[in-house]
Amino acid sequence: METMPPRSTRMPIDQDWTSVWPTASTFKASVVPLPLRMGWDCKKGSTPPAKYANAELMKIPNFLHLTPVHIKKHCVAIKKFCTPWPKGLETEAALEKHFPIDISSSDFCYSSPSIREPLSRVVTLKVKVSSLQLDYHAKDKLLRLVDDRYNPKTDILTLVTDRCPTRKQNYDYAHYLLTAIYHESWKTEPWEHEKVESDMEQYFWDMSTSKRNIVNLLRSVDGKTPHQMGDELPDDADEYTSQPEVQEYAQAVSSLHNDGEDLHSVNSYKEAVKKSIGVIETIVIITSISINYVYRELVLLGTVIIIRSTFIITSYQTDLHY
Amino acid sequence: MDPKILSKMAASMRVVSEVAPLYRIAFRGLSTTPACCKVQAGRYKITLQQNKPLTYEQAHPPYRIGVCKGWNSWNTSNLHEAPRACETTFEDSFIRKFIFGTWHGLFVSEVIIKRRHNMVILSGLVQRSVSARKMYFLIGYTEELLSRFLKCVVKMELQTVRDRKDVVFKYI
Repeated sequence: METMPPRSTRMPIDQDWTSVWPTASTFKASVVPLPLRMGWDCKKGSTPPAKYANAELMKIPNFLHLTPVHIKKHCVAIKKFCTPWPKGLETEAALEKHFPIDISSSDFCYSSPSIREPLSRVVTLKVKVSSLQLDYHAKDKLLRLVDDRYNPKTDILTLVTDRCPTRKQNYDYAHYLLTAIYHESWKTEPWEHEKVESDMEQYFWDMSTSKRNIVNLLRSVDGKTPHQMGDELPDDADEYTSQPEVQEYAQAVSSLHNDGEDLHSVNSYKEAVKKSIGVIETIVIITSISINYVYRELVLLGTVIIIRSTFIITSYQTDLHY
Repeated sequence: MDPKILSKMAASMRVVSEVAPLYRIAFRGLSTTPACCKVQAGRYKITLQQNKPLTYEQAHPPYRIGVCKGWNSWNTSNLHEAPRACETTFEDSFIRKFIFGTWHGLFVSEVIIKRRHNMVILSGLVQRSVSARKMYFLIGYTEELLSRFLKCVVKMELQTVRDRKDVVFKYI
């Protein structure tokens, strides 16, 4: 059966390739004018098989329907539907300010007679908690309500909704959920006042045993008897807690609990304790005084220091325990 | 019947009806060699005359798939959580059998099945041993029947080859 010579031999160089290959199509050796070769022959010195009668070239996907000329034509056709980017949204910061909520959902396309895919109904809503208007109590309550869905490193709250059958329903539900959480966090329920020290989200020195301890310590230093009545503070606690050394001590203990122990916080704690207890650094200068006399003095001073240091050790221990 | 033949038949029948002696029973059984766990999938045995033609696809064994052989079936069913994996495979084997039966000896390469959204595109090399008119009929017939079976749009994009010998890669 004789046929005409292949079309590729009669193609002008400046032809319109988009008319020759308009859509995605299997490779046709007689239409593509390129001298392509594909395959591997283990014989030494042999070239890959030519494009005629080559099934390998037909198997692979080709992009002869997406050449630059094609893309240009597509762009020209689509351009009339495009609108300019809105003014005032040039920077990321502006985008975040005006559009703080980030919605994402997936579309799937498979090689299948059906276009339905149940996973395409899932909607993810992301919002930065700093963009919501919350006071201290509201933020704490929101974070407790939301639990795992909040990422403290990026400050992003993520809500994933998939309980409804359609995407639109899940989108509406996500927005409703965010509104509900926000308004709930601003409300204060009557049972919230029953919050105990163990429920606290961070260490508050004002309601800790450390405050009671130091007040009792300072009272005993002044010669008053220690206050024995349970959790309550004695009446003159305020005159001790208003002292600047005690305030510094309170700050040091809070930072140890809240920010963790590191060299800086432990050192500041040490300085604060020393100031509040009143330990004076003594430097003994040995002059021409006789050694016996000095030794006696040193022994006396040493015992005082030893007493003072044991005193301090107990206070360190008790404070760190709480 | 010849009496000699009859007597021979009787003798043989008597031998068969006798019970074998005990020392013969111990040696009864199948004669076997040790198992040779040989892989022979997709490999062709060489001939003495070196005249068996092989196409490029047949010449390379299966471990060369992905190296110097491509796949014949292209679809999304093997992606993570993709639907219709077994249906796609089953449909592929059905298509290949259908084409083998419809195009009598006309296909000189494997059928290449590509799936794009809801379209099934069949490809391959066909030899020009029938007239173009008959070939157009076969294309239309295949497309119509397969699209009814598979409930998808089926298209055929064939390439023709003058002779079967044009696709021969080597002789073994």
